[in-house]
Amino acid sequence: MNQAEAILLGLRIWGSIGAIVAAVFLTIGMDRIDEDARGAYVFRPLLIPGVLVIWPLVLWRWHIYETGSEAPAKRYQPPRKAHFAVGMILPLAICVIILAGLNLRQTWPGQIAPMQLSQPAETSQ
Amino acid sequence: MSVKYVPVQWNRNKWIYDGVMLAGVGLFLWIFLSASPSILSHERAINPQVHNARAFGACAFLMLTVILCIGPLARLDERFLPLLYNRRHFGVMTVFVALTHASYILDWYFAFSMSDKYEALLFANTSFGQTAGFPFEVFGIFALIVLIILAATSHDFWMKFLTPPVWKRIHYLIYPAYIAVVAHVSLGILQDQQNQGFTVLFIAGAAAVGITHLLAALHERRKAAEIAGTPGQWVDICDASEMTEGFAKIKLLPNGERVAVFLMDGQLSAISNACAHQNGPLGEGRILDCLVTCPWHGFQYDVRTGRSPAPFTEMVPTYNLRLDGTRVRVDVNANAPGTPVDPVPLPAARATA
Repeated sequence: MNQAEAILLGLRIWGSIGAIVAAVFLTIGMDRIDEDARGAYVFRPLLIPGVLVIWPLVLWRWHIYETGSEAPAKRYQPPRKAHFAVGMILPLAICVIILAGLNLRQTWPGQIAPMQLSQPAETSQ
Repeated sequence: MSVKYVPVQWNRNKWIYDGVMLAGVGLFLWIFLSASPSILSHERAINPQVHNARAFGACAFLMLTVILCIGPLARLDERFLPLLYNRRHFGVMTVFVALTHASYILDWYFAFSMSDKYEALLFANTSFGQTAGFPFEVFGIFALIVLIILAATSHDFWMKFLTPPVWKRIHYLIYPAYIAVVAHVSLGILQDQQNQGFTVLFIAGAAAVGITHLLAALHERRKAAEIAGTPGQWVDICDASEMTEGFAKIKLLPNGERVAVFLMDGQLSAISNACAHQNGPLGEGRILDCLVTCPWHGFQYDVRTGRSPAPFTEMVPTYNLRLDGTRVRVDVNANAPGTPVDPVPLPAARATA
């Protein structure tokens, strides 16, 4: 098995476990933990891709709801400080990457020799 | 803000928003594919599949750029808030455009591969040890996976289930994804451009994202310094005469939380500044019919109880208030979400109408 096959196999296993979690969570678990979901079924298929990709988080949150171990105050503490870090890192990273990309270019548009695509006007007339 | 979840919450404004967005996507693709081939380096003959791949790739980059500019612009100027209102649909649409780009690439360059086309994509270029010819595809794959995760977790159920702070942390992945997209373009198509048109457009878009985020970060830091409260159990908010009917004063408490103190019908009430939906700034909303409306997505709360009006069930913490002379002070310890607190009346002469 090469590395590419191993990566794809890993993704298939991840998705397969996610499918099992989705089947159980969307049919049984959701009704136990969210009163707004009881009696609402049409929207549930929309959640399947989400469970497939973040099923460990789903299991973690499900466990917290079932055990009642959540600290309610945490729900109202948005990660604001990250805004400042993003505001500094994002422009810097964009600059560095674009400059690196431009530096790697082997030919610049100005270095491309002009090429006449049609006959000169006086000849064609 | 549903009582029972529905697949998509539509209303007139969202229809208009989505209509404008789809028209914009259609217009961009039409221009790219039909109207101006010379501007976009299509002088060299390319087949329709590659042309389509480039069109959808460029469209996805532009959409992601606009999406990322909306957040900081709304923080800098509230006139951009309407763009924030339905950004979720914008993001989901971007994923479909990006997937179309990836599909064209896979179905053209790897169609006749001896192995599975997905495997071929992963091992076609493994020159990770060199800068020239670096496998830029890996950046695109990473960004696409992130976009799929974000779109797949965009339903309101996920925000409630994961809680807004956890949901927000997951959605911060959009920043590494955008950096990956910039790398994907810089080390990919940018290496092969024969004229400056695309290069200038690409750099302008990425620069807009970088600059707006930098400005918004500096703006937020300045604002946080302005609203920082003094230490102690009862935090001074302002003088009663500074309160305006129907609006709030926001204060950053020593414990890092933000409180919004409202004046409604000449009486003071205090609730958490963080909306239960996406932690939007409730204190920047105004009171209509006894309810404050979140400026981000329109969730509403009674400022006396921290509860959404029936039949909705959202709740935010409330705070105890007192008046020391003319000074408005708030207890730093929040009450449990949805706890009713008796409003504190202002002397009529002090309240400004």
